[in-house]
Amino acid sequence: MPSTATILSQAFSGFAFGSLLALMSSGLTIIFGTLGFINFAHGAMFMLGAYAAFVVLVQTHSFILALLAGASALLVVAVVLERGLLRFFYARPPEDQLLVTFGLSVMLIEGVRFFFGSDSQRVSPPAWGDGIVNFFGIFYYPLYRVEVIGIAAAFLLALYLLLYHTSLGLMVRAGIEDRLMVGLLGIDVHRMFLVVFAVGAMAAGIAGVIFAPLSAVIPDMGTPFLVQAFVVVVIGGLGSFGGAIVGGLVVGELLSLTTAFNPAYSQASIYAVMTLILVMRPRGLFGVAGRI
Amino acid sequence: MNRKMTGAASLALTRRGILKTGLGLGAVGLLTPLVTPRVWAKDYPEMGSFPAGVQGKSVFAAGVFPLTGPYAAMGHDEQRGFELAIDHLNNGSQFTQGIPSLKKGGGVLGKKVESGVADSETKPNPAVQAATRFIHENKAIVFTGAVSSSVAVALEEVGQRHKVICMCSTTASNTTTGVSCQRFGFRLMPDNYMLAKAMAPVLAKQLGRNLKAAYLVPDYIFGTSLFSSLKAAFAPYGWTVATEQLPPLGTTDFSSYLLNIANSGADVMFNETAGADSVTSTKQAIHFGITTKMKYVIPLFSGFAGKELGTELLAGKYGTEPWWWGMEEKYPQAKIFNADFHKKYGYMPRFPAANTYDSMMMWADAVERAGTFYPPEVIKALESGHKVDTSRGEVYFRAGDHQGVSPVPVLQGNSKAEMKGSEDYFKIVGIVEGEQLMVPLDQSGCHMPSVEAA
Amino acid sequence: MSASVLSWRGSRNRWLPEIIVAALLMVLPFGFDAAFTSVDLLSRILLWGLFGIGFDLLFGYSGLLSFGQAAFYGTGGFVTAYLLTSHILGNVWLAMLVGTVAATLFALFVGYLALRRVGLYFAMITLAFSQLAYFVENSPLANWTGGENGLPGVPYPVIHLGSLDFSFSSGWRTYELIAVTFFLGYVLARFIVRSPVGAVLVGIRQNPGRTAALGHSVPGYKLAVFVLAGAYAGLAGALLGIFQSYMPPDAFALDTSAQLVLQSVIGGAGTLLGPTFGAAVWLFLRAELQQIPGIGSLWMFILGAIFVVLVTLLRKGLYGSLVSLWRQRVATTPSRPRPHPRATGLHPAAAPPTPRSVGAAVPVALEARGVSKSYGGIRAVSQVSLAVPPGEIYAVIGPNGAGKSTFLRLLSGEEIPNMGHILLRGEDITGRGVTAVNQAGIAKSYQINQLFGDLTGRENLRIAALGRARGALRFDVFRAVDSIDAVEESIAALIDELGLAESADLPVATLPYGEKRRIELGMALATLPSVLLLDEPLAGLSPGERQEVIRLIRRLADGRTIVLVEHDMDAVFALAARIMVMHEGRPLAEGTPAEIRRNAEVRRAYLGSMTAHVDS
Repeated sequence: MPSTATILSQAFSGFAFGSLLALMSSGLTIIFGTLGFINFAHGAMFMLGAYAAFVVLVQTHSFILALLAGASALLVVAVVLERGLLRFFYARPPEDQLLVTFGLSVMLIEGVRFFFGSDSQRVSPPAWGDGIVNFFGIFYYPLYRVEVIGIAAAFLLALYLLLYHTSLGLMVRAGIEDRLMVGLLGIDVHRMFLVVFAVGAMAAGIAGVIFAPLSAVIPDMGTPFLVQAFVVVVIGGLGSFGGAIVGGLVVGELLSLTTAFNPAYSQASIYAVMTLILVMRPRGLFGVAGRI
Repeated sequence: MNRKMTGAASLALTRRGILKTGLGLGAVGLLTPLVTPRVWAKDYPEMGSFPAGVQGKSVFAAGVFPLTGPYAAMGHDEQRGFELAIDHLNNGSQFTQGIPSLKKGGGVLGKKVESGVADSETKPNPAVQAATRFIHENKAIVFTGAVSSSVAVALEEVGQRHKVICMCSTTASNTTTGVSCQRFGFRLMPDNYMLAKAMAPVLAKQLGRNLKAAYLVPDYIFGTSLFSSLKAAFAPYGWTVATEQLPPLGTTDFSSYLLNIANSGADVMFNETAGADSVTSTKQAIHFGITTKMKYVIPLFSGFAGKELGTELLAGKYGTEPWWWGMEEKYPQAKIFNADFHKKYGYMPRFPAANTYDSMMMWADAVERAGTFYPPEVIKALESGHKVDTSRGEVYFRAGDHQGVSPVPVLQGNSKAEMKGSEDYFKIVGIVEGEQLMVPLDQSGCHMPSVEAA
Repeated sequence: MSASVLSWRGSRNRWLPEIIVAALLMVLPFGFDAAFTSVDLLSRILLWGLFGIGFDLLFGYSGLLSFGQAAFYGTGGFVTAYLLTSHILGNVWLAMLVGTVAATLFALFVGYLALRRVGLYFAMITLAFSQLAYFVENSPLANWTGGENGLPGVPYPVIHLGSLDFSFSSGWRTYELIAVTFFLGYVLARFIVRSPVGAVLVGIRQNPGRTAALGHSVPGYKLAVFVLAGAYAGLAGALLGIFQSYMPPDAFALDTSAQLVLQSVIGGAGTLLGPTFGAAVWLFLRAELQQIPGIGSLWMFILGAIFVVLVTLLRKGLYGSLVSLWRQRVATTPSRPRPHPRATGLHPAAAPPTPRSVGAAVPVALEARGVSKSYGGIRAVSQVSLAVPPGEIYAVIGPNGAGKSTFLRLLSGEEIPNMGHILLRGEDITGRGVTAVNQAGIAKSYQINQLFGDLTGRENLRIAALGRARGALRFDVFRAVDSIDAVEESIAALIDELGLAESADLPVATLPYGEKRRIELGMALATLPSVLLLDEPLAGLSPGERQEVIRLIRRLADGRTIVLVEHDMDAVFALAARIMVMHEGRPLAEGTPAEIRRNAEVRRAYLGSMTAHVDS
């Protein structure tokens, strides 16, 4: 039986990782909710954010600029992809959308590998992220990871404000509930789609920037996150912003706490929970019923 | 870049291909004396791609390396070592002058060596496919490769089944020359057992005896076998296991495991993760303050650890690599190899390149001594214990399990101030000779199959 | 694409694909051997092709996109390899059988859970299971599976024929083994596709709701095809281990499932051979692209780009497009299909062969007692009762939002009432679900056409008729879809009766609205119902067409009971023997047309609801 200190620190760790996952998954969920398709390239977008940060940090050492770079890079990519290709897919069956974003994901990953190579790039945490925090003498935690919670929360707050306190956000939420109706009401659905796709992609990219100092930056880094983001979105409910946040924290905690007891099954545990939810309550914890 | 056989050679094979229909390789033995005038001094039977692959003016060597996927950087390094070796075998070089049997140059046994390279994608299945293709289509007479041990084990199995020698050069798992040993498989680089055994006395001297060690062990065969080797190697010095943390495949965030290690009260941490995972977990370990609380060892540094981790992360950390270019101080052939490689590719070679280069040289030497490409004779020559002067000194293969008796450099990361050149990432704390590091044959788990066994 | 699936007619053409495939299997190896000095590449293509045939039945035909087929591929492979390398079984054939059975059972388990959901959720559950299997293979079961090293040393199969030992050890021998297995798998798939089961699968892909309403057990068929795909996958996996003498762990990886999907799309889903073609393209390009200097590690990028282009522009895939082109050319030369039995004049379907109906004079054909349905807080239908004697036309009318359509959905079994009962000829059918209700003898014609657009009118009617003729779930894969004479005759009769003779063999999507409406009606009729529910049958028709349909409905009442929901008051008053008026979910009035016309409350309800709209 692990000690209290271990369990506490694991729980906190899960919270930190979970907040990052929540940010990434919220992008995925609003894209699904509004546009109606699953963005299989979300993991690649996460990775692109990390690489954008790497490029900028090497030149400028400014984390703020890195965040900006990550957001702008994904903005450009999202606009190009949506206008150039994806908007022709809205009327097509959901499998086609899944397939085309999957193909795009492969192209993005391999393209990055061609330019940067496969060896890992290094991104260091910002200077204000160096150091260890002592939590009431019970356990230690890296400062940057604590800050990750803050940064992720800040962006989630921005996203929340966008969704719940702007007219664009109102339209997006209405569109999530009933896409047909929103179109019939005369709202330019296509412009809305573009904006939502861009916002969702940027959320992934910013998550990538935040995560970059914590790990090796390699072309394949997004794939495990993509799968985990799916799990989060299914657990939280496809299309539900609140669900993505709760789901992200749940998955983060699940991964962390199972590690405290038996790590071999930690990955398996999130799939088991996802399957359970899919079988018993497919709309997820907060999803809209009937919205498959 | 080398291509597979083109032109006249492949047409000749096509004719033979049609004749072979439905009769298997058996027909070739009857028909080849009719098709070509070459007659061998000794009349060897057919086996694998012999004699079909050695009939013409050239022979084919194949390389199967991870050119995509997490180990791609080492895969490309391997490829360069491979191609440099082929170049030197064909055109002679200062290095081959240092090996008596290869002094005359002009290929191997007078035949030019053609080569081809395929991407294993770091997965066993594509590797098996590529190797099998090279053997069937190009009549490869030898092949090399791997970075991950699962690929190496699969490749030497292909070699055994198709009767073609695999110089499975870059693989660290004990199993490659342990339970999975094959008659047609040869591994030059030191394995986990040897790396562990080399580190133990050096680290015990540097850090002390009776210490508590925490282990970060990736939960698959490579990781767990390295763990048992380390545990066994350090036990005589009184080192105990404070905790063993097993992150499963696909872990991106090691914080849970690192927290457990940080709280374990250990004096030393061994980080066994490889490739990008080792960079990730080391960074995270530093964030968690582990490196200030305890000594940090990466038992097997990845080929480009210096570049990937950077001097700030690496400085003062202990570990090993199967080969380090700094060994040129001790081994003159290494100096020559490093210079040639650097001239051609613009950077100092890493162990995957050296492994493949040296392995190809040893193979060529064995063929020359055997006087034939006939696999059983070449195998005998490789097993004979004859020493070849390579970039890791004079080495040979142990007959019982085909494990190369190679030295192990124990390394410590240089700080920026200590670096004498842009790639001088490590200082060599000690080089331990291979003889004293070998696992006793009866404990290796190797039941060497016969040449004929499938 | 699917129209052509069912249009292989005539004994001359029936076996053509099998003959061509067999011929190719015999000739291609020589070509491959000449070009590549070995047949191994072809063997690998066929292994993926076998894996792909099962997947195509699942995805191409039934529309179920699974991202987890690797789970069964790996299971079949590892069980077989384990049994052989640990010498538990000596006979390779037996081990292959056990491996395939293991994969099939696993597929049964996963399918049972995964198929409770559709679309994306279904795909995610399959992905989750295959990831679980991958992790389990790598760690907890590493002692049996070899972990990340896999299982080397899988022996070759041997056949003992008397004193002859036939060992499948060389490249050619294993090719023969794989080719024969592939061919058998293909032949079986062809039987399935051309059988009534195949027609139902196509229906499930195009319109699962309608297929269920036509009396087919959609969950049953879905599970069957999922399990079948798992069996094909398991067999392919077992063969892989034997072919390579090595069972790789990446058989379980997500990459494997993804590669299968990619290859199927590149080749073309819904053609059975599309995945094989896609595998050929993939394997060939991967091998060749790597050889080109400078491209080297970009091969995956190029393949990804090709895939994206194909998904965007050539959705049918490379092989699928070729097939489609060829079939179009064949279709323009009208081949006279098998002569269909001539209709012998108008006759409604014979009385449905259910125990209680024949001869017995039943006072009430269809009865609803106190039926209510609420959605959340909204009471859509509240305490509605009716009793319709056999042969009567009974109309339900009311202003918008009265709950008429919902009530009809309760009668057809598409929805289950919260309260009350529905009885058919005295038998309680409440809550049985639309498929069972249809099998019992109630059919509905929909307000918005629910047709199988890609199929011809005849094929639409056939799917409808097959439900009643064969029951909800039947695996008669060895009969041709058009071989049941009773079915073909009744379809022919319907086509005549509905005046569709000219257009019966054209894809329904190309027909004018009026004809589509008639096919819609025909589909309900083809299930031989004793009770026919008509949901606004006149919707969208021209005045001329309306008169036709009104006459038709009157004819149809002979021998059948009809419940009609309509807004066209002239038609209602002309047809109905009795009328019920609904208002805000409740029955407002019931009686003969004359009584209803005089009813003041009814008038108020209609006009009242109109003023309410005008005010707001």
